[in-house]
Amino acid sequence: MTDNTAGTLRGSKLADKPLAGPNSLAFRLSRYFTGRDAAVLTLVLILGFLAVYPLAMLFYGSLHSTPPGMAGEFNLDGYRSIFTASNMVVLLNTVGISLAKTIPALLMAVLLAWIVARTDTPYRDKLEVLITLPFFVPPILTAMAWGMLGNPQVGLLNQVWKWATGSQTSIINVYSYGGVVWHMIQYSTPFLFLFIVDIFRAMDPSLEESSRMCGASRWRTFRNITLMLMLPALTNSFILSFIRGIESFESPLFFGTPAKITVITTEIYNSINHRATPDYQYATALSFAIMALMFILVIWQWRLLRGRTFSTVTGKGYAPNVMKLGKWKWVTFGFCILFFFVTVVLPIGQLAIGSFFRFFGFYSRDMLTLEHYSAVLGNAEVWRAFSNTMLLGLLGATATMVLGSVVAYVSIRTRWRGRRLIDALAWLPWMMPGMVLGIGFLWAFAMLPGPIPIYGTIWALLLAYMALGTPVSVRVMTSAYAQLSYDLEECSRVHGASFFQTLWRILIALAWPSFAVGWVLAFFGIMRELSASILLYSVGSEVLSVVLLRLWSNGQAEQVSVIGLFMMLLVIVFRWAQLRFIKNRISTL
Amino acid sequence: MAAITLENVSRHFGSVAAVDNVNLNVDAGEFVTLLGPSGCGKTTTLRMVAGLEQNTGGRIAIDNQVVSDANASFFIPPERRMLGMVFQSYAIWPHMTVFDNVAYPLRIRRKSTQEIAEKVKTALRLVEMENYADRPAPALSGGQQQRVAIARALVFEPRVLLLDEPLSNLDARLRTQTGDEFRALQKRLGITSLYVTHDQGEAMALSDRIVVMHSGHILQIGSPEEIYRRPANRGVAGFFGSPNFLPSKVQACAPQADGSFLLTLDGPGWVGPCGCSSALAVGTDVLVMVRPENMRIADKASIGAGEMSWTGPIVQSIFRGTHRSIVAETPAGRLNIDVPSVHNPAVGESITLAADSKAVWATPTN
Repeated sequence: MTDNTAGTLRGSKLADKPLAGPNSLAFRLSRYFTGRDAAVLTLVLILGFLAVYPLAMLFYGSLHSTPPGMAGEFNLDGYRSIFTASNMVVLLNTVGISLAKTIPALLMAVLLAWIVARTDTPYRDKLEVLITLPFFVPPILTAMAWGMLGNPQVGLLNQVWKWATGSQTSIINVYSYGGVVWHMIQYSTPFLFLFIVDIFRAMDPSLEESSRMCGASRWRTFRNITLMLMLPALTNSFILSFIRGIESFESPLFFGTPAKITVITTEIYNSINHRATPDYQYATALSFAIMALMFILVIWQWRLLRGRTFSTVTGKGYAPNVMKLGKWKWVTFGFCILFFFVTVVLPIGQLAIGSFFRFFGFYSRDMLTLEHYSAVLGNAEVWRAFSNTMLLGLLGATATMVLGSVVAYVSIRTRWRGRRLIDALAWLPWMMPGMVLGIGFLWAFAMLPGPIPIYGTIWALLLAYMALGTPVSVRVMTSAYAQLSYDLEECSRVHGASFFQTLWRILIALAWPSFAVGWVLAFFGIMRELSASILLYSVGSEVLSVVLLRLWSNGQAEQVSVIGLFMMLLVIVFRWAQLRFIKNRISTL
Repeated sequence: MAAITLENVSRHFGSVAAVDNVNLNVDAGEFVTLLGPSGCGKTTTLRMVAGLEQNTGGRIAIDNQVVSDANASFFIPPERRMLGMVFQSYAIWPHMTVFDNVAYPLRIRRKSTQEIAEKVKTALRLVEMENYADRPAPALSGGQQQRVAIARALVFEPRVLLLDEPLSNLDARLRTQTGDEFRALQKRLGITSLYVTHDQGEAMALSDRIVVMHSGHILQIGSPEEIYRRPANRGVAGFFGSPNFLPSKVQACAPQADGSFLLTLDGPGWVGPCGCSSALAVGTDVLVMVRPENMRIADKASIGAGEMSWTGPIVQSIFRGTHRSIVAETPAGRLNIDVPSVHNPAVGESITLAADSKAVWATPTN
């Protein structure tokens, strides 16, 4: 080195200056570190209770010969009893139905996304809102509506068909494989659409333009470039949708069970609710088996996605290439409208019609009545379920999002010890269908030490909803934080704000629109939840979906229609508010 | 008085040393630039001063008060170091107006509303942005965001101003202008500044002193002229412009009044005098740095005693507007020369090049 560098070494006069109170600060530091560890430990405990504990109890229960809370012995009878020929059929049904709905739903979603994102179809932005609406409608409502529309004897569609053709035979029977698949397609398509449309939009148009410049036709470019770029994301969406198909409960319950078509979720449900003595060990062992299936799927998904998740989504706002369709734009417009009509207008229309006639299926003027409205409004049980649902929705969505925000923050914005564990724990419920989690919690609450009266209260449902919602809330908040550069936080720290001041004034101030979006999603999730609720509710803690199912089983389809209409109204109001207020806020950032 | 002191400061990521034993004193009011290619540790050094990164070795003091000492596990978090900082991305908070952004450090310190209004106004006037106070931050251009970031960093009169490549996101013309304005402002306020950049031009135009860094080490510290004219080694010399390096041997070595040494050199096909920073034994191999702009085309007769010269044919001539780049094939190797662009010697023509010994500098070969 030269004299120049040597010259700067003279700063060692610092050595004789005493360090200003290192002891007190070292003490403060050590407190700071233990505080951080305590925070991580608290999170691990909460998430452990929500995910690991029910899972462990599930395993315990699968080996235990008697129902939760009773003395019994440990054996492998549960696992022995699930390996039967009829369960082989159940497994094939489950996988087959999920495949049969995922493939057409994916094709339809790609087509709709392409129409909305890449063509000059008129009113594309409005169409997008309409197309995604079915995703927010609780499946139980459309299931009931389609039960009325496609009823082989008195279904509205069959009546219209008979009236129009003079035929005596019905053409539609929703109580069939076709019915189950059809109902699943209706809410899978908008779910997939939401994923795919953003990928279409985020693609750099120069990637396609350069293909055109190399001499490839429009169609060839679409096949060789556009689709290939989207392939990782499409595969991911496919697996995601397939997993949700396996977890699906409403469609096989409503359309499969009457036709003696059983899938894993309904088999678990039936073995607890529809047998003379509930066979908990069998149900629990089956739940554990489905978890194994999920685990394999999730591992497969991870392996496929390793290292190429966000390859095409750059986050840059490109103006994507828009194809001029000419006259065809009215065809694509019509297709979107048709989709909306079939998936939203028909079911809502059926609920509206059903609510005004004395008996559904008998639509003549003298049958018009308002008695179902007065019956529902005067039904204390319905009101109780309504207030329970609202309370659980508000509390559950808030708690889920707060938990998700903290977990996402710790796992991606800090380098704290244990952050990966927290991330993994929060992700665990993703593999548990609501039905399985419900059974896990059933055991978990029964096995709680001492007099902790959770089972049978609405807090049982709250905990289950939080567990089910956490993976999504973590995901929403993770992507929200990922968009905020570290500089924004660090700049605040350098200019004098403490960790918590920065959290409040910068991070929360910037991330709250995403929080709100996630909150609405969580709220919808709770409002539609049936499979865990049906296992965990008891008298006094019913929620709307449970009451709907009970009324439906009692044959009171008309009252169901009334409640369904109110829920539908709620969905539309929330969705409108979300689009109107939150989206605006996000776009200004 | 030292405003910033770094003593044996290191930062290890696992077994990799991003910054290795760095020593630096920045005097009060001084403008010091950390310069180096990306990955050389300059930004990590700045972030350690800011407290955004914790040093794994050595200690850091600001205003002679230790803010971080790795051996004593002593660390003051960034918010209590009283620093202003301008980020490369500006980090203008998009959910606030210009006024709110600049007022933030004052509000955090619970100043009165009146004081905040006054100080923000003053700070915005300094950067000529007082008319934009009510604008939402995302509605600003890059240059305006940069000014707001500077105003925000200055508004609470910090002890030291840290700047992390603040000009790199601006276009070329605006970069020069903003840089000059900022330098004038810094001199006027007399605020100690530590600046990080990879742009040599920027570093030379702005700094009192430049710290050249490479792979976590300091190569040289000195004034811009010193670093440009008297580089400590080939690495530093090569970092500024594209000088010629001529291998040669030391024939004689004589100490000079300013502490440097005057060498007499013997290269292939030429001999001449040349300055050097250290005493070298006769027969040592050295590299002589000659910058293209310090050479001239000369008549053989006009070459003075204090000059060295080379002769050879021109192999390439490129017109660059401000000057003409010529490559000549000489016994000492291919030489690049910059001459005024009105000169237009033909390719193939043999020319003689001369350079003043004050403008050349010898560095050890390693």
